[in-house]
Amino acid sequence: MKRFFMLLSSEVKLFRTAVPIHLVAILQPSAMYLLMTLILVNPTFDMNMEKPETSLEAELLEELMKVGSPIGLPYIRPVTVDWDGGAVVRQVVRVEDRSGIPTAVQYFGLIDSNLVKNYRNRLTAAALGLWNNQLGSRAVHIQQRPWLPRDVSYNVYFGMAMLTMATFLAASILGGFLTAQEYESRTIVEYRLSPASVGLILGARMVRLVLSSLLSAGVLLASIGIIAHVWSGGILRVALVLLPLSIIAGCLGMMAGLLLCRTIPAFLVGLVVTFVGWILGSSFGLAAGFGRTYECISRCMPFTHAVELLFPRYYGTTIGLPGVSALVLVCMSLGMLGITVLVYRFRILRQE
Amino acid sequence: MKMKRFWILLKTELLAWRHDPITAMGGLIPALFILLAFAPLFGGRLSFKIAVINHDAGSYGAVLLRTFDQVLSPFGTPYYDVYAFEEEKAWERYHAHYLDGIWIIPEDFSAGIEAGKSPTIDMYFSNYNDDRAKNHRIYSTEIMWSFYETIGYPFPPLEVAEVYPLPVMIEWFPVIAVGVVLLSFMLGGMINMFMLTHKEHVSRITIEFGMAPRSLAWVLLPKLILALLMGLVTGTVLLGIVYLWTGSWPGHFIGGVLLLAGLVILFWAPPSLLIGMHARFFAGMIATILTGLTLFFTGGGLGLVRANWESVPLFSRLFPNVYAVDPMRDFILFSVMPPDWRRVLLILSGFAALSLLVCFPLAGRRLRRIG
Repeated sequence: MKRFFMLLSSEVKLFRTAVPIHLVAILQPSAMYLLMTLILVNPTFDMNMEKPETSLEAELLEELMKVGSPIGLPYIRPVTVDWDGGAVVRQVVRVEDRSGIPTAVQYFGLIDSNLVKNYRNRLTAAALGLWNNQLGSRAVHIQQRPWLPRDVSYNVYFGMAMLTMATFLAASILGGFLTAQEYESRTIVEYRLSPASVGLILGARMVRLVLSSLLSAGVLLASIGIIAHVWSGGILRVALVLLPLSIIAGCLGMMAGLLLCRTIPAFLVGLVVTFVGWILGSSFGLAAGFGRTYECISRCMPFTHAVELLFPRYYGTTIGLPGVSALVLVCMSLGMLGITVLVYRFRILRQE
Repeated sequence: MKMKRFWILLKTELLAWRHDPITAMGGLIPALFILLAFAPLFGGRLSFKIAVINHDAGSYGAVLLRTFDQVLSPFGTPYYDVYAFEEEKAWERYHAHYLDGIWIIPEDFSAGIEAGKSPTIDMYFSNYNDDRAKNHRIYSTEIMWSFYETIGYPFPPLEVAEVYPLPVMIEWFPVIAVGVVLLSFMLGGMINMFMLTHKEHVSRITIEFGMAPRSLAWVLLPKLILALLMGLVTGTVLLGIVYLWTGSWPGHFIGGVLLLAGLVILFWAPPSLLIGMHARFFAGMIATILTGLTLFFTGGGLGLVRANWESVPLFSRLFPNVYAVDPMRDFILFSVMPPDWRRVLLILSGFAALSLLVCFPLAGRRLRRIG
């Protein structure tokens, strides 16, 4: 144990040789989260409408203002404009007479199908409001039964999903850098000559990588609390969920360093795997909410399982199959540890 | 003589690439994988998975059920994928969040419609994020609109219609793909600049450079040109992949795309060189590349900027990407000249000139000190 703690102490001291890298690895996800919260999807859209001149147009404007969540934000912020029929940047609604039928025509600029969908649905919602008013008791009423008493801001989910990314990024790029650096500074020979066992050497490095990645997650956790005013319940449980993820990432980083022997490619591997894994791993919403292909791929990612295990900490209810997710994470981390030991033996000890 | 010196240095830098192909393709690999990751996320079928439990004793419930398949979103797919689950299984899957929602059509639904007694449907849905909750609410209006039309309700007081400026609507995934292409151009320039600086550090050529009696412009210029070329090559390769995938290609506007990309690279390459020298290449490299990735997410990588300018954070406006991404989309996706082309060129040239003027003298000074 004494030797282990000496190794651990040496690993921790490596921080001093790469302070900026540690700072970037630990703080960048939080910085990214803070910036992303400024641009994340906000349900409230500015919607341009030509200044109303008739009572029907005024009624439409009124209905546009009503479109929204009864337990959350409005979905439309109407902006009345004078429009001369010229080029449109985003969209504008004009009420026209088409073959004697009053029609709300939405003119779009060069926007993509997702934006068109959003504007189309909003206008339909407002026009349906007018239709329902006309139908009176014949109108079909949709009784909304949302799962939670209030709509939860997207910032909360996104932050929770980013916890997995923060954990993974720190462990993978630090693991890759520290290991590849041994080759570049030629200290790798010390490992070859060391009488310490593989378990001690890798264990010490793994513990410091886990600590670094949990620190990164901790900073992000605090950022989510400050920005979204939602604090995760049970910090220790959050750490427990992120622990296998940091082991997987640490192993990946170390393997990249051992196999590539150069800092830049090792870093690139860590970076690519982190971002790709995160995007595929329920980063923007629960896996089941996207296409079938995405869901299938997503279930192979440790990120998705970690997100599903983190979910109860933020929403107070379990989703998916927590037992299976925990088992997958444990198996993946044990598997990665085993492979890392093999790679270490292959790259270091075999060349004695 | 000066040109000879330039070619010798250019050749030296070129040779550095041969030993590190992974890094040389550093602009392509991350961007390609990010594109591959976004494809199933935003390029797949984005319909909500729901179950509809139809208890209706009459026929209108069945009509409503058919309506779900008939109403298409601008993605060309129905808003909802309706699963025919038994009620118990539907609830089980909904509670596990494998279903986005459940609609319950009551027994007296048809009777309510015929008698005009406020027929009601229960819509259970998840609101764990407000954006998806919003979609549940506004998608349901599209279904009801179509349902009213199908069952022959009196015409609405106000019809709805829309006019799109192109014959075919641009999909969301190609919009993201162009954002990734710009990321590839940028990363290609940055990573290659880092790699060349790194190699010189490792092989200690920087000492020779630092002690050179001539102007260091001859050292820095080949490096800049190669980083620029490599950035353009990697981005163009990704653009080719996007063409094969989505069919989007700028055609005769390719020059415009490369000009935009070149100006963006010229902004990013000099700080990459400078930071690489100061922060011992690696920390600087991580910081700059992660800044680039952050900019991708916050500076119009995932959506159109021009139509959402008010949402662009101040941080993103301090970098050229946000000004270049939409004109690049104009060329690649819409095949039109950007309406603000001259203004964009002026802004991007300003960014590039500022970067070169600030970073190159500082890099030269740093090189002299290392020497």
